[in-house]
Amino acid sequence: MIMEADRIRDLLPHRYPMLLVDRVLDAEPGVSLTAVKAITVNEPCFADGGDVAYPEVLMMESWGQAAGVLVLLGEELGDRVMLFGSMSGVDIHRRVFPGDVLEHRVRIFRALADTVIFEGDCRVAGEPVMTVTRMVMAFRGVTT
Amino acid sequence: MSLVKADVRVVKPADADGAAETAITIDPAEPVFAGHYPNYPIFPGVCVVDSVHRGALATAPAAVALASVESARFLGAVLPGDVLRMDLKWTRDGNDWLCGGKAHTGRGAAASVKLRYRAVS
Repeated sequence: MIMEADRIRDLLPHRYPMLLVDRVLDAEPGVSLTAVKAITVNEPCFADGGDVAYPEVLMMESWGQAAGVLVLLGEELGDRVMLFGSMSGVDIHRRVFPGDVLEHRVRIFRALADTVIFEGDCRVAGEPVMTVTRMVMAFRGVTT
Repeated sequence: MSLVKADVRVVKPADADGAAETAITIDPAEPVFAGHYPNYPIFPGVCVVDSVHRGALATAPAAVALASVESARFLGAVLPGDVLRMDLKWTRDGNDWLCGGKAHTGRGAAASVKLRYRAVS
């Protein structure tokens, strides 16, 4: 199941400069998903010059958004918001750079009422660059 | 190098016990708010981790690189206009360094973060 960015943008509430999933390569709703994010030197985070290593936290955000797509394949977000609950054991194996294509491999570890727990990793050219032991995402109604 | 434009300020450099304090003022004009989320601006959780990380690098006892987010728990929303204050605590762990960070706004706790760094030459 290949999904291009237009469909991803329909599912996720995130927008530029914080929409960090380019394409879904494969998904089994409720179970697992593989998605990619290509890094270019044109990323807003490189606009001011300096080091061209992609910020590790943006790799985590991108991975978390891929996890969000996996959930939202099965149920629309509606008027809820998607909130980062927690993460643990997120290990960085090496820095990544413009020209690298991140391949996020996300699995659902456990799904509760409004909270989903994920695990998986991120690879570049088949080599793990980040391991995600646990990431927890909450889907909550907006109470304003 | 960061999506967050504002600088992380060192309020108190690391003391002999490894305790330091940093802060960042969350400008409503930060570019990240345009996309997270349109009509509902929330400072992203990873940007809170980024702020703790940048404060850690600014107070690090040695040259270090991020090895792991050992844990991060998000406890309260960070909103445009907030001042995010971060209490950091550096400890040595073999060849690595650990930096624990408690981030809070005027409304209370925002996040509890534990970062692992490896020494770099």
